[in-house]
Amino acid sequence: MSKSSTIKIKIVTGDIRPIFKQIVDGIRLEIATGKLLPGCKLPSYRGLAMQLMINPNTVAKAYAELNSQGLVESRKGLGLFVSENQQTLSDDERIEKLTKAADIFINETVHLNYFDDEILTVIKHKLQKIK
Amino acid sequence: MSEFCVSTKSLTKQFGNKLALNDLTLDIPHGGIHAIVGSNGAGKSTLFRLLLGVETPTSGICTLLGERSDNISANVRGKVGYVNEEHTLPGWMKVAAVKELQQSFYPDWNHDIYNKVIAYFDVDPKQKVSVLSRGERAGFNLSMALAQRPSLLILDEPTLGLDVVARQSFLEALMFTETEEEMTTIYCSHQMEEVERIAEQLIIMEKGRLINNSTPDDFCARVSCWVADWDAIKSKLGNKDVGIPGFLSRREIDGQQHILVVDQGDDFGDFLHGQGAKDIAQLPVNLERAINAFLTTNHNKPVAL
Repeated sequence: MSKSSTIKIKIVTGDIRPIFKQIVDGIRLEIATGKLLPGCKLPSYRGLAMQLMINPNTVAKAYAELNSQGLVESRKGLGLFVSENQQTLSDDERIEKLTKAADIFINETVHLNYFDDEILTVIKHKLQKIK
Repeated sequence: MSEFCVSTKSLTKQFGNKLALNDLTLDIPHGGIHAIVGSNGAGKSTLFRLLLGVETPTSGICTLLGERSDNISANVRGKVGYVNEEHTLPGWMKVAAVKELQQSFYPDWNHDIYNKVIAYFDVDPKQKVSVLSRGERAGFNLSMALAQRPSLLILDEPTLGLDVVARQSFLEALMFTETEEEMTTIYCSHQMEEVERIAEQLIIMEKGRLINNSTPDDFCARVSCWVADWDAIKSKLGNKDVGIPGFLSRREIDGQQHILVVDQGDDFGDFLHGQGAKDIAQLPVNLERAINAFLTTNHNKPVAL
């Protein structure tokens, strides 16, 4: 059986995000940044729960969420894998997510007084890096 | 087997003038870890004593694994494990002797589970119980409770006074020891970090009443914090804060009102606006703050879910 990948995410207690959401966000970022490649096997519920010292059912809940988002898929008897084909959101969902993320970004950067072009250059550079 | 592992109906227990449990109706389904949170004196220990049939209720009924608590069979009694914060054990006995004594009471005793759990703790069978540290006693107690293969495990603040290492071992042993049957765990704790890490269901009690029984995430989503510039709050409402829907608590920070409310949607902003508040913003709330808001409020108690 193929070995599962190590997931380098951290969770914190006392956060406004529930732990299951932190796992979903963390793994999604790992996938988006190419640290977890399509076809990679995820750790078992138990394995990741032990690593993070949390209830295994919380990991199960996070995995179910990732599964419903199409980011991971289960293969019968083998475990859970990063999906080969990542795009499962509808056009409406995609634009909604993009707008939301843009709002957060603008909120964080508007006070820094950069010109629009300067900001766009940084973003372009960052996007090229992960592709 | 009955639908619920634990079920109480209008359970009331009065000590003198004090109501330790006040019309408590609570159903805990089988399986999972259910955290019970409440201030000291919220009625948690009284609830356990009534469930185990050690005390009789003033009124109302409670059942444990399908049997009425005032008439529990030896069979059901043997299916309940109980660990409390004192970790009381006979100090003059050796670990091995205590274990053998305990084992003789429980026909379903599983050696394998005992060995796996005790391995988390540095306990030598030849040691006398009196020389064990608090953490080791806690681990020894947990090992015995899990080896009984209980259907219901009640843990009453088991990690109280344990150091970081012992606490971690305790939680690991509790969550990751493989037991073949489905076990329901009731876990009382004041440690919000623990609750967040292990609880699937969050039961909140206050003054003998049930305030919440849902997943921690659903509970957290019920509570919201609103910040507003709202000088009129004092003159309008005095210090009683009556008339604010779902009110839990209010603090003034740098002239801004921080108001925690329960079960209010975005229209609460409209309410504030209608009351003359300005610069209204909604802030997210973490679990600890949400719980504390419930436990500290004395007004407008929300109805249990």
